[in-house]
Amino acid sequence: MNIWGKMLNIDRRWIFLGIGVVSIVPFFINFGMPVRTTREVESIYEYVDELGSDNAIFISFDFAPGTQAENMPMSVAVMRHAFYNDVPVFMTANYPLHHGMMLAAMDYVFNPTTEGFYEDVDFEDWRELREAGVTAKDELVEAWENQGNQLPDGATGWVFEGRDYAALGYAPVFSLVILGLTVSIETQYPVDAHGNSTGEMPMLQEHKSLREVDLALTSSGSGACVWWVTFAREKIGLPIAFGLTAVMATDYFPYLQSGQVIGQMGGLRGAAEYEVLLAENGITPSTDKAFVGMDVQSAAHLLIILLIVMGNIAFFAGGFHKKTLLKGGR
Amino acid sequence: MKRTVPLMIVMVGGILMILQYFIPHQISQTVFAYYTDWTPIIVAFALVLGVGSLTRIHSHKIRRKAKNWQYSYAVLIPLFGMPVLAHIWPVSLSGGMESPSIFHFTFMHVQVSIQATMFSLLAFYIASAAFRAFRAKSALATVLLLSAVVVMLGQVPIGELLGRWLPETGLWILRYPNLAAKRAIMLGVGFGMLATNLKIIFGVERNWLGGTGK
Repeated sequence: MNIWGKMLNIDRRWIFLGIGVVSIVPFFINFGMPVRTTREVESIYEYVDELGSDNAIFISFDFAPGTQAENMPMSVAVMRHAFYNDVPVFMTANYPLHHGMMLAAMDYVFNPTTEGFYEDVDFEDWRELREAGVTAKDELVEAWENQGNQLPDGATGWVFEGRDYAALGYAPVFSLVILGLTVSIETQYPVDAHGNSTGEMPMLQEHKSLREVDLALTSSGSGACVWWVTFAREKIGLPIAFGLTAVMATDYFPYLQSGQVIGQMGGLRGAAEYEVLLAENGITPSTDKAFVGMDVQSAAHLLIILLIVMGNIAFFAGGFHKKTLLKGGR
Repeated sequence: MKRTVPLMIVMVGGILMILQYFIPHQISQTVFAYYTDWTPIIVAFALVLGVGSLTRIHSHKIRRKAKNWQYSYAVLIPLFGMPVLAHIWPVSLSGGMESPSIFHFTFMHVQVSIQATMFSLLAFYIASAAFRAFRAKSALATVLLLSAVVVMLGQVPIGELLGRWLPETGLWILRYPNLAAKRAIMLGVGFGMLATNLKIIFGVERNWLGGTGK
């Protein structure tokens, strides 16, 4: 066997080792290569940026742990953007495992070790203020701080459960749940994931169904994202945004062109673009995990392309293409 | 009778759901709400059936010491252990009731890690498969190969550094040729689904009942 033959028959463990190295090294050596934003992501950012405390959005955690590296940063980015603008966020999940992802996203955004975290106030903790009729965000923050509560160092702001977010979580047969949400949120979710009565939540009193909501972002690792288009967009005209894994992203461009979705974040790249927009506009102190991951992805893509080029050089230089043709196949 | 009743339920239910979608009237909405209330109840029964069936199969396997019977414990222990930790005994790691619970810990540090690892393995296998399979053997294969290289480089920041045209060309491929092909496929699949659904609703397609459809 000549050198070309040996190259073509390289032990695949060397390839695995190469991928392992290029996946790990960029985490330690931060290249910080620039990420240019695209109109698909900018359109979601601009849409969310226009919203305020009178509006509300849904973030549907429609992904499992397998795709969390891609889907989690985009969900977190939009959640932080909404919190920054005091936009109430309803969070749902279309599968029990996805419910865990929703809770993990909340843990991350509310965790004091996260740069620019949000200080979470449990639904029960501000019952007194709620019962006194203090539910508008500005008044609520003022009244809460007048009670002697102080925003921790490094926190971006307060988020009140039931005012700023409702963790609705998983409900079975989610396609029908979306249909049901177009009529009433409370009927589909009488209690949230923490057992709080949703009917008592100010954000649910102001936004009773999907008809009174301004956007649904489905951060999805499966075809379930289309349910939001079929059952919410087409039935009541709810604007939809997609957050998809990279391998899925190519499949959903027709929805963008037809105007059925306002924008699409494709894979880690899409999430990194959103993080760049947040950081550039001072909404977060810096970019986050997706941006760091882009260095890893750059190195891995480059290695795969080098492997493809080397494979083709060996294939043609070694004359293997002729042998294949002689055998009658391609 | 055994076949007629399910067929009638599917036909009436299917037609009702199609009609109500286009009728914005209170009666239509009530029918819809009633229908959607029933669905989770049916799903709950399906869950009982599924868990029962899974338990029966794996217990049987363990009893018979069938091939790889040990793995059946890996199915049964979490299957019953996780609901117990979530609802019946939601204790924390320290033994008290404060968070994080053992359930949460197990989910985050076992389930999440396992799934993330399984998905991550794809990168290794894709790299190996790309090296062995991506060959410019014909004109069409060359087009595919070049498109893949441009899109892959265009999606990452290093592509931007190699040349502005790379991400722009990559996006052009995604926005136009890719979109056209995907739309054609989606339309084909859509019409196929419509035809199949109509066949099921009107009882032409009966394989879902089991048997040969006669």
